[in-house]
Parts: sequence; structure tokens; C-alpha cells
Amino acid sequence: MIAAAWICLFAPLAAALAITLAGGRLTRRGAGYLATTAVGISFVAAVVTFALLLGDSPHDRSHPSTLWRWLTAGSYHFDLRILVDPLSVFMMLIVSGVGCLIVAYSIGYMDGDDEERRYFAYMALFVFSMLLLVQGGNLLMLLAGWGLVGLSSYLLIGFWHDRPSAIAAAKKAFVMNAIGDATMALALFLVIQRTGSLDFEKVFPQAGTFGGWAANLIALGLLGGAVAKSAQLPLQTWLPDAMEGPTPVSALIHAATMVTAGVYLIVRTHALFEAAPKVQELAAGLGAATLLIAGLIALVQTDIKRVIAYSTMSQIGYMFLAAGIGAYANSMFHLMTHAFFKALLFMAAGIVIHALAGEQDLRKMGGLRTLLPRTYWAFAIGALALAGMPPFSGFFSKDSILAAALANNGWYGDVLWAAGMVGTFLTGLYAFRMLFMAFWGEPSAFVREHLMTGSHAHAREGHAQHDGHETHMHTGEGPFSMTSTVTVLAVLAVVGGWIQFAGLWTLVSDWLDPVAPSLVDASGVQEAVSSIVAVLLGLAGIGVAWWIYGSRRAAAPRSWRVFERKFWFDELYDALFYRPAVLLSQGLLRWIEQPLVFGSIGEIAAGFRDLGLGARRLQTGLVRTYALAIAASLAVVTVVFVVVR
Amino acid sequence: MNGPAVTWYLCVAAFLFFTGALGVLIRRSPLIVLLSLELMLNGANLALIAFSRFHGRGDGQIFALTVMAVAASEVVVGLGLIVAMARRKLDLDVDKLRTLRG
Repeated sequence: MIAAAWICLFAPLAAALAITLAGGRLTRRGAGYLATTAVGISFVAAVVTFALLLGDSPHDRSHPSTLWRWLTAGSYHFDLRILVDPLSVFMMLIVSGVGCLIVAYSIGYMDGDDEERRYFAYMALFVFSMLLLVQGGNLLMLLAGWGLVGLSSYLLIGFWHDRPSAIAAAKKAFVMNAIGDATMALALFLVIQRTGSLDFEKVFPQAGTFGGWAANLIALGLLGGAVAKSAQLPLQTWLPDAMEGPTPVSALIHAATMVTAGVYLIVRTHALFEAAPKVQELAAGLGAATLLIAGLIALVQTDIKRVIAYSTMSQIGYMFLAAGIGAYANSMFHLMTHAFFKALLFMAAGIVIHALAGEQDLRKMGGLRTLLPRTYWAFAIGALALAGMPPFSGFFSKDSILAAALANNGWYGDVLWAAGMVGTFLTGLYAFRMLFMAFWGEPSAFVREHLMTGSHAHAREGHAQHDGHETHMHTGEGPFSMTSTVTVLAVLAVVGGWIQFAGLWTLVSDWLDPVAPSLVDASGVQEAVSSIVAVLLGLAGIGVAWWIYGSRRAAAPRSWRVFERKFWFDELYDALFYRPAVLLSQGLLRWIEQPLVFGSIGEIAAGFRDLGLGARRLQTGLVRTYALAIAASLAVVTVVFVVVR
Repeated sequence: MNGPAVTWYLCVAAFLFFTGALGVLIRRSPLIVLLSLELMLNGANLALIAFSRFHGRGDGQIFALTVMAVAASEVVVGLGLIVAMARRKLDLDVDKLRTLRG
């Protein structure tokens, strides 16, 4: 079992290294197949690990494994160590499984790109980073994976490095994540100071002994990291910009790796959060605020990928909400179903974008239902799952989160519940607004030009055109690697939620219970009420979307500027952090650096220069003056010797 | 066996040395400069041998032989330079070779 876990961890890394080292000796397709195979091996290994773990008794399912001692500092030491337990195996399955499908999809999507090999090396590295994050057996390994995930996302968001906007987005993501990394590292220092270790099984039992302020600071630091990585308020602004990367990268970031890391962190370190209940409530509150704000912004976005991006923020908000109130299993369950339907939505959107030669603007789409029928159905399944309609997967997971919020005692739980309910309405609205705008109605002029005439000017998102390669052109819904993976995900998005049905069978909760026992337990009535209200509100959202966008295909109603500007978060941060920093630097340059540093260094240099200019005169080039100087100094030395003697 | 006192030898050596030094300092022809250098070295050699004899030990003579070897090599290099100058039809005047000034 341990061996399988190690294989699962290192297979993608091996693929990334192999693709990097092989360089031109590997064909572009070969790189894609190699990366897919490696991540597939990971998935198989994860399944094997899962099956073997299933054989153990429920309370004996935690198996750490140390490869070697990584570093020693005084009495502290940190091992290169993984932990196989129900939670990490759960995440391994999602990361490698969904990751494998996305990498396979990329073979078709990235076909013909100039730098496919680099792309697949990065993808494999990304999966490895995330696996390291979820398998790490101590907080340091987790932090290492955390940092590597940030790096990989930076590399992939900026993959099309000749576009300034992609570079800017990559930098933004990296800086935002670095803020979270910093707070997390500070929290870990405090943990070391308090416990002398970063190993899970040594730290968590001592969580109650930290004392009030230390427990709060640690939890706050970890929450900062989680918020940055999962794009929650107030560090959410990088996620929509991250859409600059290729579409499968967006799918990977949103579904399998990266943004789910924050939720995983909270569930993994739930002992530290439970020691600081106020911070835990803050996490739930942030989740609720994010799910509302992201839902509102998603209503007016015109870029199909950005709508999906905001829906991710919103859904991660639900997971934070659940993790914040202690419904860990529900949170992880929603993470899983979300991975399925979000990857599905992105990949279906990718097919649309592919078919429309890189166009992402919803206003130019329309009437794709008849032209891309299978994509339409896949997208519809994704949207239904996103909106939480039964029997699609989102229904089971989202409603159990809402029920847990209702079961949480006090007014705070009720507020969260209400926020989640409003979020359900918004989800139905924006998901089906997107669906109706893209797929319903009459084909727009733009769509007719690209899909109904014979001439497919088939440029991939900003790539070289494929003119003259008619045989390689994918018309319609794309090559097998794309349609097949979308089909698999569509099936998963339907049936993925069936493994847990609140009150009847709770496979996920039972599986995760030894690691992260839930703090709240919703009663049957609460489950039923939440489900019914949520489904009704979701239906209402869909109805409103149909009324505005579906039936009449009216022009979009006058949108609210505050949503279009994304609540002015970018402008706020610009005014609050960027501009003062620039002003400060300019002031320092002008008033400190120029006079003090340049002044002093410049004067010293000028002094030596003058000295050299003076000494230069001594060098006459006349041999006889040198001889005279030697003779004269010899005479002086002789006289001195004689006189002194 | 006893010749003149060692002082006389030293006087001759000093005379040779200073004659050579004067030549090096005031003459401009590289040939004469080399010649004067030889005079200086031989002055020094004379002093070495005189002292060697005076003390009854052989060290000074060995030293003088070394100086002769060095002098021979130096002349080789110096004459080579002079030949090179002559080939380029440069003036044989050390004061005109001053491109190495600062």
C-alpha cells in the first residue's frame, strides 16, 4: 500500500522530468501520451492504495511512511514523509483521476501548439505538486507542495508567454498566493515554537494546549494560506485573471488541483481550527461572503470561462462554509462532485472555444445546441449539477452543506444558511444564463461563420493557424481525446453524487470520519427542508434565466456596474497597496538613494579617479628617467644606511 | 701572493660601476646603453671577486659566474631588440621609444 502511494506521488514527477530531459527526441504527441500515462499510473496506484486501505479496520487506516530524514536543525528534524489515510487517499483519487482526464483532454486541445512538450511537462509537475500537498505527512511537506502548486500555476497561467495579459495574470496569481504562503509559513513557525514538531500526529493532539492568542494566530495564518490558494475573499482577484491560461489548465486549477487545496488544508488541520472557534467562524463567514459576491459577479460576465471561474469561487465558498462550521465530510464531498462537474464545464467550454476559433465571448455565441449537440448535453449536465438539481451530483453535496449550516446552532448558522440559499438561486441563474446564451436561440452571425460555412479558419486560442492542414483539422466537437474525456466526466457528474445521500447512506462521511469527525449532524427534517428550499430556489434561478435569456433571447438587461467592475476589488487593491508602494519607492529613490547612496559612492569613486590621474603622470615612457629614479633611490637608500649605521 | 689591498680593487670597481651608470643615464643610443650596462655588471663582478679573494672563500666567484650568465642573456635580448628596431628603420634613440607613457 505504501509503495503504491509512493508510485502515485512520483509517477507524474518522473514524467515531467522525462519530458524535460528528452527535449526534441520526444514527439509532441509522445509528450502528451507520456504525461497522460504517468498521471494514469498515479490514478491506478491511488485506486490500489484505496482498495488496500479499505481492507484495514476503520480506526487503523493511518499509515505514515518516511523516505529519509530531510533536514535537522538542533533538536528539530523533518522527514520526507507521506501519510496514507482516508483523507489523503480521497484527495489522491480526485487529483489523479480528474487530473488524468484533463491531461488526456489536453492532447486534443493543445494539438499543434508550438510548445506542447513544455505544456505537458508543466501539467505533470502540477499534478505532482498537488499530490505532494495532499500526501505530505507533515506540515512542512504540505507547505512544499503548497509552494510547488503556486509555481506550477504560475507557469501554466503564463503559458502563452507572448501575451502581456497572460504574463500579468500569472504574476498576479503568484503574488496573491505568496501572501497566503507567507501567513502560512508564519503559522508553521508558531507551531514549531509551541510543539517542536510539524508532524501531524504530534501537532494535532497538542492543539488544545496552545493558549488563546497562539491558537488564534496559527489558525489565522493557515486560513490566510487557504484563502489565497482557494481564491476566497479578500484574496480572490487572481482567479478570474487566471483564465488567461489554456482552458484545460483552468479545468485543472479549478477542479483537481490548486483551489481545492485551501479546503483540504482546513479539513486536514481541523484540530488547529477547532482550537480557535472564532477563526473557524471567520472561515465560514468568508466562504458565505465569497459565494454571494462571486455569484453576483458571475451574473454579468460575458466571457464564458470567467463565468465558470466565478462559479468556482462561489462553490469553493460553499466548501469553506462547510469546513468552517465543522461539516468536514460534506465539504470534501462537495469538493469531489465539484471536481467532476467543474472539469466537465470547463472542458465542454473548451470544445466550444475550440470550435469557435478561440472566441470566448458569450454575446457572440448562440444556437450551438444544434451544431454541437453532444457538447450541449455535456454542458447541460454540468450546469444542472452546478445548480444542484436532483439527481445530479451537485444536489447531494450542496444540499448536505446547507443542511449542516441549518443544523449549526445559533443565529450565525441561520445567516450562513440564508446566504447559501441565496447563492443557490444565483447559481441557477448564472449557470443557465451561460447555457442559454451559448447554446439556445438562433445561431449568431459569428457562429454561422465558423461552424456552418465550409471554411473553417481554425485558429486555436491565439495560435498559428492550421490552414493547409485540412486533414488535421477537427471540425465540430473535436477529436476523440476531447469528446471521450468529456463523456466520462459527464457520467461522473451525474452519478458521482450518488455515493452519499444524507440520512440513507453516508459512504463519504463514514470514510472520512476517523480523520475529520464532523462537528454538526443535521437531522432528517433539516436535510429535507434544505433540499426542498434549495431545489426550489435553484429552479427559480433557472426560470429567471430562461425568462430573460432563454425564451426571448433578449439583450442582456442593463447590468449593474458594481458587478461588472467586480466590486472594485482590483481598483481597491491598486489604490491601497500598489500605488502607495510605487510612490514610496519613487520617494526613496529621489530623496534617499540619489543623494545618499549614489552621492557617497560617486564621491569615493571620483576621489580614486583623481588619484589615478595624478599617478599617471609619473609614467613618462622615458627609459632614462626610470633609470635615474632607480639610481637616485639607490643613492638615498645607501646614504640612509651609512648614516644610520 | 698578496697583491694590492682590497680597497684598490673596490675603487676600480666603483669607478667602473659609476662610469656605466653615467652612460646609462645620459647616452641615448641603445647600443651604448647596453655597453654601459655591461660596464656596471663588470664593476659589480670585480667587487665580488675581490671580496672572494679577501675572505678566501669561493662564494663570490660563483656569484660572478652567475652574473656573467645573466649578462650574456640580457645582451641577447637587448641586441635582439636593437636589431628589431633597425629592421623597422626606427631611430636608434631610447628617448623616442616612449609609447608606454601614462
